[in-house]
Amino acid sequence: MNDTRRRIAAAFTEAGVSGRLHAVDIDSGTEIDAGADHPVVTASVHKLCLLVALHQQAAAGLLDLTEQVECPPADRSAGPTGLAAMLDPVRMSLRDAAYLMTAVSDNAAADLLLARLGLDAVNGATARLGLTRTRAVHPSFRSLFATIRKDAGPAGASALADPRVLARLRALDPARSNRSTPRDMTRLLTAVWRDEACTPEHGVAIRRLLGLQVWPHRMAAGFPFDDVHVAGKTGSLPTVRNEVGVIEYPDGGRYAVAVFTRAANPAATLPAADAVIGTAARIAVDALRARP
Amino acid sequence: MDLIRHLRCFLAVAEERHFGRAAELLGMAQPPLSQRIQRLERELGVRLFERTSRQVTITAAGTMLLEDARLLLARADALTATARRIREGESGLLRAALPPDLAAEAIAAILAAFRQHRPGVELELHELSTTEQLARFTSRELDVGLVRHPCDIAGLELGPVLLRELGVLLPGGAPAAALDEVPLAALTGYGLVLFPRAEAPALHDDVLNTCARGGYTPATVRQGSGTGFVRGLVLSANAVAFAPRDTAPDDAAGPHADIVWRPLAGAPLAWRHSVAWPRGRGDAAVGAFAEAASRALWNTAAMTADAPARPLHLRPAAEYWL
Repeated sequence: MNDTRRRIAAAFTEAGVSGRLHAVDIDSGTEIDAGADHPVVTASVHKLCLLVALHQQAAAGLLDLTEQVECPPADRSAGPTGLAAMLDPVRMSLRDAAYLMTAVSDNAAADLLLARLGLDAVNGATARLGLTRTRAVHPSFRSLFATIRKDAGPAGASALADPRVLARLRALDPARSNRSTPRDMTRLLTAVWRDEACTPEHGVAIRRLLGLQVWPHRMAAGFPFDDVHVAGKTGSLPTVRNEVGVIEYPDGGRYAVAVFTRAANPAATLPAADAVIGTAARIAVDALRARP
Repeated sequence: MDLIRHLRCFLAVAEERHFGRAAELLGMAQPPLSQRIQRLERELGVRLFERTSRQVTITAAGTMLLEDARLLLARADALTATARRIREGESGLLRAALPPDLAAEAIAAILAAFRQHRPGVELELHELSTTEQLARFTSRELDVGLVRHPCDIAGLELGPVLLRELGVLLPGGAPAAALDEVPLAALTGYGLVLFPRAEAPALHDDVLNTCARGGYTPATVRQGSGTGFVRGLVLSANAVAFAPRDTAPDDAAGPHADIVWRPLAGAPLAWRHSVAWPRGRGDAAVGAFAEAASRALWNTAAMTADAPARPLHLRPAAEYWL
């Protein structure tokens, strides 16, 4: 255990990040704790909470996942993927918006769902699952990015290379942004994989979407095995790189892993900082699998 | 009325624009928060917020008072921090750190400037790397320090960022030594002497990345920190090294007369420093140190303000958009 924690810490240091990790064997409950209770900024990882809340509401009959929503281009949240990057009017079902939000972290799709559900539904869903340290405070992803724009000042995104600007971003302070802990996030994933978060039918739908996430550079990079299934949700903000996910082996072993990092270097492109999420997850999963 | 406490409520509601979230931030229930805001509005005789059933917006009067409220609260925090220092028996002692590679002249200037502004405070100086400083902030063994970026700034407050532009140390006989300013690409063929990666992995990688971006991929990277050793490698191992101007050798007689220092064309590399202290623990003495260090470095170590921004292309995997 101590050796595993030491290796995880060394991997984070080597990659130039501060990292916190919690990994748990979904069936036995055995765990690896490397800063599991440290408060962290979730960023887009919070879309997982929104995804679970959406399916809970569907299970409760409060909404229909095939219900159509309009997404006019004029009022769309900005972003680099999915609806957020599209130019023309779109009409799609709630569950397809959930697909875009999960697979490519689509901010516009997420804000459509947030507008439909409300922030209280998201916080209600995590509270019901006992995630006492998880909370969404931004009513939309658009408003989260607005705090960054405001705190960065008139120089905009280029000011984010300045450490002094980074130090004052509310979005990076767990006390003032969407927040959780690594342990809360593995608890959420465990509930989803054990069908304790909602009905089995909705559990299948959530797991399918998490398995369709396109990003290969973080947690998935740590498991270069064609017979191992990786499902997850990333989250990113300036210096913040996160991913929470579940790794499933063909022998039935399944492990929920949550990794939250802050890079020292404010650069936007840092392949090593992305990859260490997979490296650390792998060290943890290997250790869990080595347990008798 | 406890004005400070009420102003904290005012600031929280103004920043969150939501009573529920502000109450949560303050660790209190919503009804007493609303009562405090009402009480403050009565006391000041000014309406601070417009409330509708759905949202809270700050009034023009509230906006005018916001900056004063922020200043007052910052002063109150500084007063509390000073009081804590006195209570903890550390009255008159500031534990401060400077990095090992700072020139003697710069250190003397910091000491002189600090003594001038805070004659009653004794400065306990430590020579510590950035990593060591961050560890001591966490264990509360250090009040303030001068860190080198990039480093993990979570939980820290920072003074202004100062740049020490780097030039290149190269053998006097190297063709590039004939140039007034050396482009990175002109160093091709030379090895590089750089500080050990474990000292600051993010900075180490950033230097090599910038070299590659500038067209220079060193054939070998040798570890070296001590001035004499680095220069020995530059002379003996067909290598170059980066160094700030204030540590450059004079082009004159001496043991390393065969080494020259040249600026890099376009100033692509720099050490970036700033004074740092744990968030919420900045008091008058910390402020005086920050001021003294920034000013002294500006004058002695050829510091400049931050470099002009380069283009930034966020890729889709960045997930955010500004």
